[in-house]
Amino acid sequence: MNYSLITLEVLAVLMGLIVLLADLWVSPTARKALGLGLAAALGCLLAFAVGSLAPQSGSAFADMFVVDDLARYFKGFFLFAALAVVLMAVDYAPKFGAGLSEFFALTVFALVGMLFAASANDLVLLFVSLELITVTFFVLNSFQRTQLASLEAGVKYLILGGVSSAFMVFGIALIFGTANSTNLAVLAAKQKELAHSALFLIGLLFVLVGLGFKIAAVPFQMWAPDVYQGSPAPATAFLAVGSKAAGFVLLIRLLVGAVPQITAEWHRLFVVMSGATILFGSLCAIPQRNLKRLMGYSSIANAGYLLLGIVAGSAAGSTAMLYYLGGYTLTVLTAFTVISAIANHVESEDTSALSGLGQRSPFLAACLTMAIVSLAGIPPMAGFFGKLLLFKSVLDVAPGHPELYALIAVAVVGVVISLYYYFSVIRAIYWGGQSANLSIIPVALSTRIVLVACVAGMLVLGIFPQGLVKIADHAVAGLSHTVAPAKAAH
Amino acid sequence: MEHAAVVQHAVESGSKIQDLAWAILILPLVMAFGTAVLTPKNRTLSAAFNISGVVVAFLLSFTLFCVYGGQSVDATPFHWLPVAGLDAEIGLHLDALSTLMLMVVTGVGSLVMIYSTGYMHEDRSYTRFFSTLSLFVFSMLGIVLANNLLMLFVFWELVGVSSYLLIGFWYEKPSAGDASKKAFLTNRIGDFGFMLGILAIWSLAGTLDIAALKAKFVANPALLGPWAGLAGLLIFMGAMGKSAQFPLHVWLPDAMEGPTPVSALIHAATMVAAGVYMLCRLFFLYTATAGWPAALGFLDGVSAATIITCIGGFTALFAAVIAVQQDDIKRILAYSTLSQLGLMVMAVGLGAKTGDASASMYHLVTHAGFKAMLFLGAGSVIHACHHEQDIWKMGGLRSKMPKTFWTFALGTAALAGLPPFSGFYSKDEILAVALEANPIFFGVGVLVTVLTTFYMSRLVLVAFFGKPRGEGADHAHESPSSMTLPLLVLAVPSAFIAWLPLGEFLSGHFKPGHATHGGDILFGPFNHNPIAAVFGLGAVLFGFSLAYSLYGKAPTQDPLSAKLGLLSQAMRNRFYIDEIYDGIVVPLHNLLSQIADAIDRWLIAGLAVRGLSGVVEIAGRALRLVQTGSIQTYAFLFTAGVLLIVLLALK
Repeated sequence: MNYSLITLEVLAVLMGLIVLLADLWVSPTARKALGLGLAAALGCLLAFAVGSLAPQSGSAFADMFVVDDLARYFKGFFLFAALAVVLMAVDYAPKFGAGLSEFFALTVFALVGMLFAASANDLVLLFVSLELITVTFFVLNSFQRTQLASLEAGVKYLILGGVSSAFMVFGIALIFGTANSTNLAVLAAKQKELAHSALFLIGLLFVLVGLGFKIAAVPFQMWAPDVYQGSPAPATAFLAVGSKAAGFVLLIRLLVGAVPQITAEWHRLFVVMSGATILFGSLCAIPQRNLKRLMGYSSIANAGYLLLGIVAGSAAGSTAMLYYLGGYTLTVLTAFTVISAIANHVESEDTSALSGLGQRSPFLAACLTMAIVSLAGIPPMAGFFGKLLLFKSVLDVAPGHPELYALIAVAVVGVVISLYYYFSVIRAIYWGGQSANLSIIPVALSTRIVLVACVAGMLVLGIFPQGLVKIADHAVAGLSHTVAPAKAAH
Repeated sequence: MEHAAVVQHAVESGSKIQDLAWAILILPLVMAFGTAVLTPKNRTLSAAFNISGVVVAFLLSFTLFCVYGGQSVDATPFHWLPVAGLDAEIGLHLDALSTLMLMVVTGVGSLVMIYSTGYMHEDRSYTRFFSTLSLFVFSMLGIVLANNLLMLFVFWELVGVSSYLLIGFWYEKPSAGDASKKAFLTNRIGDFGFMLGILAIWSLAGTLDIAALKAKFVANPALLGPWAGLAGLLIFMGAMGKSAQFPLHVWLPDAMEGPTPVSALIHAATMVAAGVYMLCRLFFLYTATAGWPAALGFLDGVSAATIITCIGGFTALFAAVIAVQQDDIKRILAYSTLSQLGLMVMAVGLGAKTGDASASMYHLVTHAGFKAMLFLGAGSVIHACHHEQDIWKMGGLRSKMPKTFWTFALGTAALAGLPPFSGFYSKDEILAVALEANPIFFGVGVLVTVLTTFYMSRLVLVAFFGKPRGEGADHAHESPSSMTLPLLVLAVPSAFIAWLPLGEFLSGHFKPGHATHGGDILFGPFNHNPIAAVFGLGAVLFGFSLAYSLYGKAPTQDPLSAKLGLLSQAMRNRFYIDEIYDGIVVPLHNLLSQIADAIDRWLIAGLAVRGLSGVVEIAGRALRLVQTGSIQTYAFLFTAGVLLIVLLALK
């Protein structure tokens, strides 16, 4: 067996343990330096993961764990996200009070869960890695122990997460009972006969429930706004980026990789889920004034857009999802980095508290504006091109399926609605009326670097999308896309 | 396909020198944003960055000119969104026209920027001025380099925006704000026609690529059928706006509210030249077979080119007449610019018969040089006289500002068309074309020359000779070297450009392999078309003697006003065109806008928008009620959701 395949994961675990140990000897004032060191280590790991020294493709642990282009793609950006989140936490430290090192360590453990999720080729590993993510987030979300809202967020995530895990375990049991295996490759081979077993299908749906909870798709989205609002900003960012992407990589592996034929038959289910998620997220965001809650609803709407790629069921759809996740990660990290950076200087997290930001820190204001513009899907930012690819992938398979045209119409309406609430943020930044406090907000160098990298990334991905599209194309090439629904009809 | 062959050649040869065009285009943009974002507080650094950007662009342009000469080359195009079925190409085209224009734009641009370090020295928005100038240069270079109509239009609009910012640079002055709005809106009228023209061409010819269009037109001159005339005129509307042709000329004199370096750059050498340049670039539209739809049948036999000739000729004469009775030094130059642009447009129209618009392009290039010099000279005078612009309050500046005087006099000689200065040769080509094509327009050209010499001599005699008639002129002294140096540099092409075979070079673009006049350039005009040359020279001498007899004895007020009486009043009031617009166009426009406003307010905003947004907002608030915050509700809804998807999937 090739143990070298899990090098990344092992190194990450070691990093987390080292941070915990080092905390015993590092003085409280030097904890920020510890974070910077961890970020540097994560940077090295990222370089290793995307470099040529990274583990070659292969599988290990009785085919439970695979390394392929898809896994490498996701591991790359989980590492990047973790790096950005650690730096964010350094900025956010004064709000934590105590336990900064534990926050770093937990972030790394959540990262390990995500790294395993990217490689999961078995429902058991899928479940375990998801639990690792979820359990660490119980703590991360309630990290501001003195704040009621933060505790509430942690508890809500705990209980609803428990409910979803219960369904998932139940589902896995049903699948194991009917298919005699939990390995995705085996399921893929047997999917034709299993498609007739109602118990198997229910089991599969229950697993979907668990994943739907992770990505915050309707009807499992209830937790997202409350948890996003209550959690500390770096934890929210990691939730929005890492945890969601982990959900999507597993969805892609399961639905597109293992049981594409069943997915094609459930076409209507995904159309409804995607449309409802987009509409729910967009509509609910309208009256929101709290910035993090707004991002929560925005995150729901974005899950809906991403589901368009599953609806398309084609290679183009999967490519579009991967590209969109790449752009979305940069965008959300930018937004939350700004939110973290100003957390110590503005009074509340309401959009109105952003007034005067244009003068207090033109740099942060510009970065947040770019992120919002990208979220709204305006060229030349990455968000535009991602939406374009997703819509196009659905339109390509739409002939003969009127409901797909309806779905696209819903998605476009969602985009229009989102312009309204996204731009209310930009309005608050630049035309938010007179702010009493116009003191300059200092921005740490590390934060500046992250922001510049993210914003530059959004622009580069938007203007030169071919590079990432090619990589994403490569990453999804190994999946067994079925025929798109349109072709199935012929 | 000619275009395809050229591209193929460029790809195969592997030589990528033409890609320097990208650097030329992008440099000013980078500098504009770089200084606006990074060094807004550092005046010296900002000016240095912006100037070096444009100077380097000039050097690169010069390199390209030397490498390619009149050759036609495409820089590697940039494909954005190359997803199947979608392709937005942004491409740059180099040929005789664009390489020459590149040098004009970046050359004049560099000198104007250097000049501005002196002229704008005390302005508090120094950095904003330089980055806006760079933005303007970027937009203008985009027009020059664009290889397709869509890109041309985008940069066309960018020029509109950046000129708006520059004319209204001193926005705290209400007149400057009004002037910038006027310029922008007047240009919008022209641009609207331009856009319709582009759409017409796209729907009829199926492509917006200029080289491909040209190839199609060569293959089939009747490509646009009955729409040829209309499409040509719609495109021309764009040029009417930017090149300020009657009746859209009203913005240019008012635009003098902007800082003088701006006038030199955009109202002498670049923006106003864009219209003429665009006509030369799309010249094949006007040499094609003319045609009109049935509704415009009465125009049969008249080509778009004829109409263009008439408008150009009329503008030339009309503006020259007005210039005779203006007292503001910048306004005289502004009307003179209008008049010269009229000549260029007239030359394009006349050239359509022979298939050669080189006379127009030639005059554009020489005019850019000496008119920029005249504007900068006027700026130097205004600067010295403490912002006095009335020539009757100047006088005696000759001895106080020798450098400014001599360059201004040289510019005047070139503009009037006195050999051996540049203006003589380019104007002579226009006169020669007119003589061949239509004696009436030859007469117009000669008359314009007489008037031009007259009002420019008037300006020089009144402002520079005699005794100071105002306090400003009394205390005037020569401007700093940052301002006189660009004047001296610009004097070189005005004096010597005639030594270069520029006319031949340009006519080689329109008529490859065309037999050239050859022989001595300096005396060439007298050899190959003596009538035009003699009339041109005679008109200059006549105009000058007329001016000298009136203004040579240093009068303290204009003796001509009394002699012309009512006519002078009309000329001073620009023939009441602005008043007519105020009387007719403005009320009509107000009425229309009120109707539109009512529709917008009650139907669109009231019913459609408010109705829709209301429904959406209510839906949002209603859905929010679901989000109770209570964990029991959430868990219940979660489970209900599970049942729902099971039903949906398995039913």
